[in-house]
Amino acid sequence: MTTKAETSRRDDFLVLDNVSQHFDRGKRFLTGESKGVVKAVDNVSLTVREGEILGLVGESGCGKTTLSRTIMQIIRPTSGRIFLEGKELSSLPDHEIRRERINFQMIFQDPYASLNPRMTVYDALAEAIRTRHPDVRGQKLRQRVVELLVRVGLSPSQMKKYPHEFSGGQRQRVAIARALAPEPKLIIADEPVSALDVSIQSQILNLLKKLRADMGLTMIFISHDLSVVRYIADRIAVMYLGRIVELGDAETIVDDPLHIYTRALMSAIPQPDPRLERSRQRVVLEGDPPSPLNPPSGCSFWPRSPVPHDERMKTVEPELAEIKPGHFAANCPFCLETAA
Amino acid sequence: MALLEVHGLSTFFHLRSGVVRAVDDVSFEIERGQTVGIVGESGSGKSVTCYSLLRLIHEPGRIEGGQVLFNGEDLLKVSEARMREIRGGKISMIFQDPMTSLNPFLRISTQMVEALALHSDLNEKAALRKAISALEEVGIADAEKRIHGYPHEFSGGMRQRVMIASALITEPDVLIADEPTTALDVTIQAQILDLIKDRQERLGTAVILVTHDLGVVAGNCDRVNVMYAGRVVESGTTEQIFYDPKHAYTQALQKAIPSLQMKGDLLYTVPGMPPDLGKPITGCAFYPRCPYPKIAEPDGAPPELIVLSEGHCVQDCHYCDRSKPIEAVLTKDVPEARE
Repeated sequence: MTTKAETSRRDDFLVLDNVSQHFDRGKRFLTGESKGVVKAVDNVSLTVREGEILGLVGESGCGKTTLSRTIMQIIRPTSGRIFLEGKELSSLPDHEIRRERINFQMIFQDPYASLNPRMTVYDALAEAIRTRHPDVRGQKLRQRVVELLVRVGLSPSQMKKYPHEFSGGQRQRVAIARALAPEPKLIIADEPVSALDVSIQSQILNLLKKLRADMGLTMIFISHDLSVVRYIADRIAVMYLGRIVELGDAETIVDDPLHIYTRALMSAIPQPDPRLERSRQRVVLEGDPPSPLNPPSGCSFWPRSPVPHDERMKTVEPELAEIKPGHFAANCPFCLETAA
Repeated sequence: MALLEVHGLSTFFHLRSGVVRAVDDVSFEIERGQTVGIVGESGSGKSVTCYSLLRLIHEPGRIEGGQVLFNGEDLLKVSEARMREIRGGKISMIFQDPMTSLNPFLRISTQMVEALALHSDLNEKAALRKAISALEEVGIADAEKRIHGYPHEFSGGMRQRVMIASALITEPDVLIADEPTTALDVTIQAQILDLIKDRQERLGTAVILVTHDLGVVAGNCDRVNVMYAGRVVESGTTEQIFYDPKHAYTQALQKAIPSLQMKGDLLYTVPGMPPDLGKPITGCAFYPRCPYPKIAEPDGAPPELIVLSEGHCVQDCHYCDRSKPIEAVLTKDVPEARE
């Protein structure tokens, strides 16, 4: 396995240029009028640096998972362009995309659902290794499986076991090993620790951090748990209704957010400290996120905004702008004003 | 006498592979208007404790012993008919997943009116009116119309509001909330917890809050019971548990959460996994994972809970040397930590 840590890192490892993923719900029978378009991902521009962990946070339904599927070209974007190491993926024909997809691997929330219950750990890892190296077999293949298991903290003696013989935390380690097996360029971890207990969660977070340090992995880490994201990520992107509303260094986003939505999200996290909890200043959001089928016009946050605003908020479409060096936010005057 | 007293509650599951001691000798009490938290990992017996209080344990599970005194009446001894009056009437419960606990085939109105028909003598019209006002109180807009909708027409947060409204519609003395916000986003979680707190203040309901999120406990509970392997290992006021934890498990759990204040290199980990409750446990169940230096082999019955100070109990374990601060012990242990 090669280590990328020493080689020079590129800043434009993964580039998303105005990527949108709109799902057309089709036309009504007879009348032919449109049933509308779900704007799951809308005009997202984003750069991921080589060797970085980018945290992606937001409420359910904000488009985190759709965005990650669009990056992997599992669903082709309706508009916009995606580049991996300078190569445009979004324009490649379908048969070539299949070959590119080996560069992306995913780790899912529920390792029991994402591992084949009828395959032993050895089979699962060997198959994944051979997607990249089809001619590796026999002793050599076994050796690679052993290496992977050791890397994720499992004992090689466990490789003939089936997923059900493992605990939740161990299963997630197997899922991580399988994601590493084809030597991917980018790993997308979709809520990888949400289903685990606190004591196991910290083991997996430590493992991911260690793997990143050892192998120079580039990762997109999706989670709704901000304290976990702040801990593991270098930068955080906050999504709301298919758009990125704030992007910056992990600490800055959590400790000094600019956008009112980020502040509300941060203030909603209960802290494991009773005195802090009692004095916690909360920005309370009303209601649920609106439907992306008919997103509110202008700054889509206005129906839930706790700050006073006028008609301009409903008409002026904000854009992601660099407010401070390296710190981007949707430049809606009402959402940002209170943060200053 | 407290409103609800639990003494030595034990619930075992008799499986072909052996007896699983899911809840073993659990005792706690709760006063009117109080919130008691039960925290622990999955499989530690939090939920089985709650189900046992309402006698909702089915074969192969059996409540083996203990007392559940509700206003002095032992719920484990009363007739099934009396239990049905209490269940959903004086003691209500809300569950983690509101989609599976609401009947998808019935309108919300049918489900809420049914609860009232069983536990009050209101006629159908008055019951419907009461149900509508209950929905309005939990912040559902346009309740008059929406009450005739089906569960799938509501979002997750809305469904949990409906659950809370129907659980509280009979004005119960005790509300058991089993991971009520685990499936929800943090923003919605904050709304739901505020709602429970608000209703509790108005009705004087006692709340048993089951969760694995220590943040939720810190903000909402007066007292906390920490469970591990079917037993309460430590119990105290929220302040005592958070600022002066005595059991190694409570201490390690707190250290393992990435908090918003830290961004260190490594998180503290509790090595290993919770024990298999189907196998007999000698001495302390946490012994194999305990970060403190071991000084004796565990033997005999699990350690007794001893009272440390007013309201603060902890398992009196003397198999490990707990004299050093946990930070020093954990830092030393972390690099080799493996499952």
